[in-house]
Amino acid sequence: MHAFANPAKFLSLAKVLTPWLFWGGLALILVGAGCGLFVTPADYLQGESVRILYIHVPAAWLGMGGWTGLAIAALMQIVWRHPLAGVAGRAIAVPGALFTAICLATGSIWGRPTWGTWWEWDGRMTSMLVLLFLYFGYIALARASAEQPGGIGENGGVSRVTAIFALVGAVNLPIINRSVVWWNSLHQGPSITMRGSSIDSAILWPLGLTVIGFSLWFGAIVLMRMRSILAQNKVEARMARLAREAA
Amino acid sequence: MALKSKHQRLILVLIALVAIIGAGLLAASALKDEAAYFYVPADVKAKGFTPGKAVRLGGMVVAGSLAHAPDGVTKTFTVSDGKATVPVRFTGIAPDLFREGSGVVAEGKFDAQGTFIADNLLAKHDERYMPREMEGMSYDPKTHKVTGAAKP
Amino acid sequence: MNHWPFIIAAYLITALGVLGLSWGSWRAMRAAEARADAMRRDR
Repeated sequence: MHAFANPAKFLSLAKVLTPWLFWGGLALILVGAGCGLFVTPADYLQGESVRILYIHVPAAWLGMGGWTGLAIAALMQIVWRHPLAGVAGRAIAVPGALFTAICLATGSIWGRPTWGTWWEWDGRMTSMLVLLFLYFGYIALARASAEQPGGIGENGGVSRVTAIFALVGAVNLPIINRSVVWWNSLHQGPSITMRGSSIDSAILWPLGLTVIGFSLWFGAIVLMRMRSILAQNKVEARMARLAREAA
Repeated sequence: MALKSKHQRLILVLIALVAIIGAGLLAASALKDEAAYFYVPADVKAKGFTPGKAVRLGGMVVAGSLAHAPDGVTKTFTVSDGKATVPVRFTGIAPDLFREGSGVVAEGKFDAQGTFIADNLLAKHDERYMPREMEGMSYDPKTHKVTGAAKP
Repeated sequence: MNHWPFIIAAYLITALGVLGLSWGSWRAMRAAEARADAMRRDR
């Protein structure tokens, strides 16, 4: 678990991984989206609007996966005091929020031609909107923790309160997942379950490409943001040392 | 000692997590009725209805029940959830996906006779996605198996 | 109803978000690492 506790070791791996994840992810996204737009057939009922699925589902997966990442980072920070956990949390927050917003936006755009409404306060949509607000809260707390003098935020991490907030917010994840099962909702039930998929394979296959592609790209963005924070730390540590020597 | 305090933190966090998730689930299940986006005909049958109160009614449009009134904009149909049925009357423009045998959520109120007067219709899509050529094949939601011949 | 304007809008929003975040994150990383490297050199 502490193999990458040493930022230098982490950085050397991150430098190799970043371009591979970034370009590989982007290539898969383009191929998946291209096939989803021009190759797969339209749905028997939804018609062409089914094509929005190929970005809506990866966005939902990464919006929720991002918060899972925040919660794991928070656990590592609180329990194992892993030095990179707070940095990872700070790096995940913005891309996670972006994908939650994309999920809501694409869902709304799909809802208009399909359901006949842009927005309804049903369980799935409301709990996903709550997730977006949770991200905003996390980003604000992470930003505030950088301003505490001498706090853990000084090293690009996040405060203890921010980490606890990430753990508490994780309660929303099972609620989002189960919202279409527990409550009568306008949003359809899960299509892909342990028993299989109710999406026909002729329509399903590009979804695999975009889900993997967006995930790889997400990883690259998180690594880039972590590298920014770690480089900033180096500069700030050096400045502090110079200031001490001058005094 | 270092190991011990680490374990202590882990246990504390786990206990807190279990408590929070328990509280969240309790709240969610308490909200079960409040958070329901719509009622189904079985709820109406079991609990009755209040004429004039704005509610949403959801279910399947029974095949063969859809009829168009002579005025051209009024439709009547029956909504079923497999346990009970409710007659619905709607005046206005229905979404493209509104059709017999498909899901619908109607917004409106009951009249005194128990007919649901809808002032807005939303098409509810189900979890099935398939190409047009496969329409008409039968689908088993339990096994996710599609059987039967495709439309010619 | 023609669905294509909706599909194009959804893909466009996603493309803008992906490209914007790619560009922003990459630039921030390059700037921060360049500063760190420059500092190491003039030590």
